[in-house]
Amino acid sequence: MPKPGYRSRTYRRIFVRTPGSRNVVHYKRRKPSKAKCGSCGSQLKGVPRELPYKIRGMPKSSKRPERPYGGVLCSACMREKLIEAVRK
Amino acid sequence: MIEVGRVCLKIAGRDAGKRCVVVDLPQKNFALIDGQTRRRKCNIIHLEPLKEKLKIKKGSSHEEVVKEFKKIGIELKEKKKEKKQEKTPK
Repeated sequence: MPKPGYRSRTYRRIFVRTPGSRNVVHYKRRKPSKAKCGSCGSQLKGVPRELPYKIRGMPKSSKRPERPYGGVLCSACMREKLIEAVRK
Repeated sequence: MIEVGRVCLKIAGRDAGKRCVVVDLPQKNFALIDGQTRRRKCNIIHLEPLKEKLKIKKGSSHEEVVKEFKKIGIELKEKKKEKKQEKTPK
């Protein structure tokens, strides 16, 4: 049985063959889920799904698209909101 | 609706939400725009026409467009010129 901290399903088990020909289990964390649009719920493009230690090292422009509400709304929803605001 | 001089709102791309004016219509589905956006070609699907219309001629320069926008009340910011960095010897 793994130790209590590793029994959680947020860890995945990987079998590794060591140089001394033993098969051991390594525990790795799972990645977070994909980002979703704030209004329609569809998957957002251009937003990477990585653990925080990798995201922190990335430049800001590679974590979201370069447009208003990028990373928050999908492009279709953003267009609707802009047109609604103008047609009032 | 989309004609030379019509003020539009760009609804797609990195300059979405900015106002621009149609300066020329080179092809059937493309317009040359200028204003708060860069002076570039754009598909008319990505433009939302507004009520205002400016008095400009086809193919006007950037300075004329800036003047006409001031009459409506939209001030176009002038971009600072990039300083050329001198390469330092290692």
